[in-house]
Parts: sequence; C-alpha cells; structure tokens
Amino acid sequence: MAIACALVLLAATVEIVLDAAREHSPLVPRTPHIAGWLGSLGGERLGYRVFLIALIAAAVAYGLLLALVRTRAQDVGDRTTVRRASIGLVALLNLIVFAGPILISTDVFSYLAYARMGVVHGIDPYTHGPVAIAGHDAVFRYVGHNWLRVATAYGPIYTLLSYPLGLLGVVGGLWGMKLYALLASAATLALTWHVARRRGHDRIFALLAVGANPLYVIYGLGGAHNDLIMLALMMGAVAFTLSDRDAAAGATVVAGALVKATVAVLLPFMILARRRASTVHGALAALVLCALAGYLAFGVHGIDVVSALGRDSAFVSTDSFPNELAHLFGKPGVFPVDHDLLKAALVLIVLHLLYRTYRGYDWVAASGWALLAISVTSTWLLAWYILWPLPLAVVTRDRRLLVATLFVQALFIAHQTSPLFAPVS
Amino acid sequence: MSRVRLIETTVLILLGLLLVGATVNDVARQTHVNQRLIADLRTWRAYTGHGYHNLSIEQTLYGERGERSQREVVCGNTVPGAPRARIQLCLAIWGPVVAGRRTVHGGWYLPARTEEDLRRYRYGCFGQVSAGICPTAAEARAEHRHARSGAGT
Repeated sequence: MAIACALVLLAATVEIVLDAAREHSPLVPRTPHIAGWLGSLGGERLGYRVFLIALIAAAVAYGLLLALVRTRAQDVGDRTTVRRASIGLVALLNLIVFAGPILISTDVFSYLAYARMGVVHGIDPYTHGPVAIAGHDAVFRYVGHNWLRVATAYGPIYTLLSYPLGLLGVVGGLWGMKLYALLASAATLALTWHVARRRGHDRIFALLAVGANPLYVIYGLGGAHNDLIMLALMMGAVAFTLSDRDAAAGATVVAGALVKATVAVLLPFMILARRRASTVHGALAALVLCALAGYLAFGVHGIDVVSALGRDSAFVSTDSFPNELAHLFGKPGVFPVDHDLLKAALVLIVLHLLYRTYRGYDWVAASGWALLAISVTSTWLLAWYILWPLPLAVVTRDRRLLVATLFVQALFIAHQTSPLFAPVS
Repeated sequence: MSRVRLIETTVLILLGLLLVGATVNDVARQTHVNQRLIADLRTWRAYTGHGYHNLSIEQTLYGERGERSQREVVCGNTVPGAPRARIQLCLAIWGPVVAGRRTVHGGWYLPARTEEDLRRYRYGCFGQVSAGICPTAAEARAEHRHARSGAGT
C-alpha cells in the first residue's frame, strides 16, 4: 500500500512536470524554454483538469502514506529499508520538479528582475519596481503583471544572495534560483530530520510529511520560492536551540527574517521559552550586522521591511480565507475595516500563545501556531504561505498543529477545484 | 486534557467548521460564475459565428452592484489572429442562462492591438447599451488629434 502511494505521488508529479514542459498555459508562466527537452518525452499542454486531478491524487496518496507510516511505525521490521525508501522518494520528487519548468507562479522572475536591476542596471530594487528596466532587460517580459511597479518586499540578505545570479543572464539566473530552492529544500528536510530525531519524534514521518507534501513539492519547489530559504533558516534556528547554542539560534532567526520577514515571529517565543540572555544578544548582534550590511548596500529602504509588510498585507487574493468568509457572509470582498479586525484577531492569538509559552507550552509548537494564524488571517494567501508551519508541526508533541496545518492545506486544494465542475474554455 | 487545551480544541474545531463552510460556499459560488462565463463565451461564438477560443471576459460595473451585477463584456477578434491582434468585437451580455446562452444587449468594436477596453478606443456602438458607451464624434476627433500629437513627440 505504501509503495502504491509513493508511486501515485511520483506519477502525479511527473505528469504535471511533463505537461508543464510542453508549452505555456495558465498554470505555467511565460518562461524561457529551460525544460523543453522534457516536453519531447510526451504529455500535453497542462490544463486545469489534469493539474487538479494530479494534485488531488497526490494529496490523497500523501495523506494515506502518512497514515500508514504513523500507524505502522512500530510494526515495520526493516527500518533501514523504509528509511532509504523514504529518502529516495523525497529526493526523486525534489529532483523531478527541479528538472522541470517554473510552475504556477511568476515570483521567481520578480526575484531575478530585482537582482538584475541591482547588479546589471544599477537601480535600487527597494525604491523601484521591475518596470524601471522595461525595454532594457529580457527578464522584464516574464515578470507578473501585478508586480511590474512593485519594489521588492524581501529582506536585504535575500537580495544580496540573489545578486550573483543576476549576473548569469535570464536562463542562467533562473537555473540559479532553482538551485537555491533545491538546496534550501534539502537543508530544510535535513534539519527537520535532525530536529525530529533530537526531539524524540519519528524522523521518517517528519521527512515524508514535509518532503512529500504536494504543496511543498509542486507549489513551493516548483515555483522556486524563496520561502524555502526562510524555512531552512527557521529549522536551523530550532536545531541550534537543541544544542544550547542560543546566540546562534537568535541570530539565525534574524537572518531568516531578513530573507522574508514572517519568520521573525519565532523570536519572542524562543526568548520567552529559553529565558537566556544569549538568545537576545545573538539576535541583536545579527540585527546590527545585517542592518548595517543592508544599509550600506541599499540605504534606508533596504532595512525598512515594516513598510513593505504593511503594503503587502493590504493585498487581497481570491484564495484567502478572509475573502472566502466575506463571500460566505454576503459581502463582495474584504474591506479596510476587515483588515483591522484580522490584525486584532492575530494580535490576540499571538498574545495567547505567548502566555501559554510563558506557562511552559512548547515554544516550537507556539511558533507554528503563530505562523498558521498569520497565513489563515492574511488576506493575501498563496499556497507556499501555508507551508510555513509544516516543518515545525512535525517536530512538536502537540499533534493538533499538524492536523490543523494539513486541514488548512486540504481546504486550499479544495478551493482550487471549481474548474473541475465548470471548466471555462 | 487540561481545561485550556479543551477550550482551545473546541475553538479550533468551530473555526475549522467555519472555514469548511466558507470554502464549500466559495467553490459553489465560483462554479456558478464559471457556468455563467461558459454561457457568455458560447453566446459570443454563436452571435459572431466564430469558434475562437482566445476571448477575453470582463465583468462590467453597470449600476452600483459591482461584481454582483452579473454583466459581462466578451471581446474577441473579428478575423483569425493572435489575441487582440485584429479588430475586436465586444458584446455586452447579461440576463438568465437559457439553453446555454445569455442575451446580447449591444456591443462595440475596438481597433487592433488595443490592450484595454477603454471608452475612448470604442467605435461602432450598437444595441441597447450604446448610449454613452462610445465616445461622441467630437471626443473621437480630439482623441485622434491627441494620439497623432503623441505619436509625433
């Protein structure tokens, strides 16, 4: 049964990648032909029907596989074989998607555009959108329409990391971004394995729960999202606390927040639970060093992540739960007052979690709940945002977090299914 | 199970049920919208006699009901070509779906390679919606002069 689940996961991923390599479709952003050779292996243009059926099949197989690993953890005689098979499955899924084209999202072209703006054209990506290089750079035509006039919202560490790739041209830079995502994924999975083992959890279950997750593989890795770098640093910080290197843990959280600010939410929970000055010292030292580097490289805009977050939190996506709830209550969408209510709800949730952490609740679980709350209350929800709590959920004793995270992911997938019932063509 | 944990779990279950309701409602809502759009595309193809697939649909904002007006404008090429590469015919469509189609209440033409359906680009308005939808002759002349002067700079 487990082998059948693994085969379904592989088959669904191969189907999506081969079809996506065939030609441009609404699910495959306009992109340089980096995976054209895969298109010649078969497949047809990736349509919503095939994509959704493959995604649902993969999600069902993933759920069954986790249930099997969980219930038969003690029965399995040869754990070495199971361990090798699990690592092999996750590695294959990652490599298949790495070999394919960019899936679903144009974000990676924004990353590349910002990098090329900085290193090729001498334009500050914190003050200008990609429209500043319109007509001057080949990457411009691939940037998503909504983001043409939007300056980067990512932290200075990520921007500096991306700069070398800007020198490689569009195709070279794109492969560089894909390689970053693959390496970050490998680091996230290795650290999840390590943390699960150190905290006394089933590491095979933890590896599969993250590495075989269809949203992680198809959306996260498929889109080469920088969220994977943030996740790797997040799990690195958790790993440091396990070896009592609290200064390094605090510094790593700050480094993660200067890739993508969301991960900063871990810091108060870590400080409150660990109750060691070294956590604060490490975080402050990293903040000063990184802010200085960011300021020297980009000026004051490079370290002003708060205004970027404020700007992005005003966006509304069709998949966000607040938007769905607005429709449920007969409203056409989310209004400014709803943003304020959602922020108030999030503050209350975080305060409750901080209180619980102070009273002894697992800070890793509390951080995971906070990340889940951020994604559920956000009016701008994308598939890769509901991956944030997943690596934390598999290394905590509070199983409710994993159930809630997977439940939210299942709802997200369910929300995509209307083209199956009424395909517009 | 401690009292706090019990309360938390209860709240989580209630929130989960609310999100399930919202998701199911939204899928049903989007399915209905898709069915309407399918009828609109079918209407455009039947009206023009062209079986093109590269059509654009926009929800119009006639009246004050916005998205809920259920009024759509469907635009497509008048002769074969890449999307928006030819003169486009736009139809204003609304009303109930009958036999898989809806009623055309008028329309207008757009020049080739017009990316946005703006009032100043429209011409040849016809039907019930034509009043105020196309620019007047004076406005069209002014727009033409503006375009020519812009092209010369």
